[in-house]
Amino acid sequence: MSRPDRREASQLRALNCSLGQLNRADGSAQFSAGNTSVVSGIYGPVEAKVYEEKLDRAVVEVKFRPDIGAPTTKDKWMESAIRNTFEREILTHLHPRTLVQIVIQLREGDGSVDSAAINATSLALVDAGIPLKCMITAATCAVLSDDTTVVDPTQEEIDAARSTHTFAFASGSSTGPLYVDSRGDFTMDEYNHCYDLCALATERVLAFMRTAIEGKVTKEAKISAA
Amino acid sequence: MASVKIVLPGDIIDTRREEDTTQQESNVEDEATVIRLGPGLVQSSEAVSAVTAGVLHSNSETNRWWVAGNKRRYVAAVGEPVVGVVVARHGEGYRVDIGSAHDALLSHLAFEGATKRNKPNLAVGTVVYGRVVVANSVMDPEIECYNSNTGKSEGYGELSEGFMFKCSLGLARRLIDTKAPVLAALGNGVPFEVAVGVNGRVWVNAGSVATTILVANAIRNSEYLDAKQCRQMVKELLEKQ
Repeated sequence: MSRPDRREASQLRALNCSLGQLNRADGSAQFSAGNTSVVSGIYGPVEAKVYEEKLDRAVVEVKFRPDIGAPTTKDKWMESAIRNTFEREILTHLHPRTLVQIVIQLREGDGSVDSAAINATSLALVDAGIPLKCMITAATCAVLSDDTTVVDPTQEEIDAARSTHTFAFASGSSTGPLYVDSRGDFTMDEYNHCYDLCALATERVLAFMRTAIEGKVTKEAKISAA
Repeated sequence: MASVKIVLPGDIIDTRREEDTTQQESNVEDEATVIRLGPGLVQSSEAVSAVTAGVLHSNSETNRWWVAGNKRRYVAAVGEPVVGVVVARHGEGYRVDIGSAHDALLSHLAFEGATKRNKPNLAVGTVVYGRVVVANSVMDPEIECYNSNTGKSEGYGELSEGFMFKCSLGLARRLIDTKAPVLAALGNGVPFEVAVGVNGRVWVNAGSVATTILVANAIRNSEYLDAKQCRQMVKELLEKQ
């Protein structure tokens, strides 16, 4: 069975990113996979409000804005999920009583939005110089009605799928995923198969991110050395 | 010289050197080298890992390792010169915005020749050039506008007139540390004074508003330009004036 855009089952869409485009943010990144495009902006470490500051670590706040309309419960849930994922990997103990604010704007959604949001935020945190334990990369899989599993599904594929699964992993870590979101009807075998496919896909995303970041750092380093 | 090594957060750093393996015969087997970790590196159990992205640097004499990367948000560190803006006055001193998460404290007495009877009177909005004296993650930073050892201002203090703008931390460091080509090129063309804060703020004062803006724009433009391009850019700006 061929996919609408003729990709292989485990093939990601064309990945694209750019770092540091928001000049008022401390760090920013735009990440897109095919038509799905997300911008993430980071502000921090900045002063936290007294009622929300923590004495021994930084507070992480996430705002997720959909492409169209006002934020709904779904977006609030996404904010909370992304916050839980990144809060553990940001070295918050280095900046007590401060706030790290992550603002994610969905520019265009065409499936696999949550993994694009996580990838964009990972890149943006690196651009902002916020200390991280590791890089976090995410990928989405969908199990279609004919039992085939496809990686990085478009919205059309997700609408026709029996289940979708998003996994986020920490780079270089052999422990389990940092983020798991599974929806629909699926068997454990299907879940495990999606896990493996996403683990491979996130390795490719990490390699892509590494190239992008090396490009940015090289450009800056050349100027510093000159 | 070894090729530039760029690291990402989570990368494990191999801090052994080529020389170490050849010297193993003369060294005692159990002797451990003390490695000092600078910005961007932390120790996780036995390994050293990077926590920010940048170029990995090491100094073989002092055995220091660090990651150099560019950022926009300043985190205060002791001894660094900063440009700040007074945002509040208190009984004991001023609160100065230096771009860090918390505003810095500047004591009334931290100026050249200041005594309890003779305190400087800075209005809110004054731009000051100071040096960080207290900076850690748990306290608000503190700055002083003189050298407390000698009692002289040494360039620190109130910066009157002129114009302050923000730039990236990397550009600010280049302006201070090296003989920045953009400042040299501008200096050949127009007279101006400049105070650069490591916190990514630069204060410029030239004869007129137009010249001040020209100098500020030239410095801002020079972020990604090399020496030759800087000189060309400054030349074009001065010609257009």
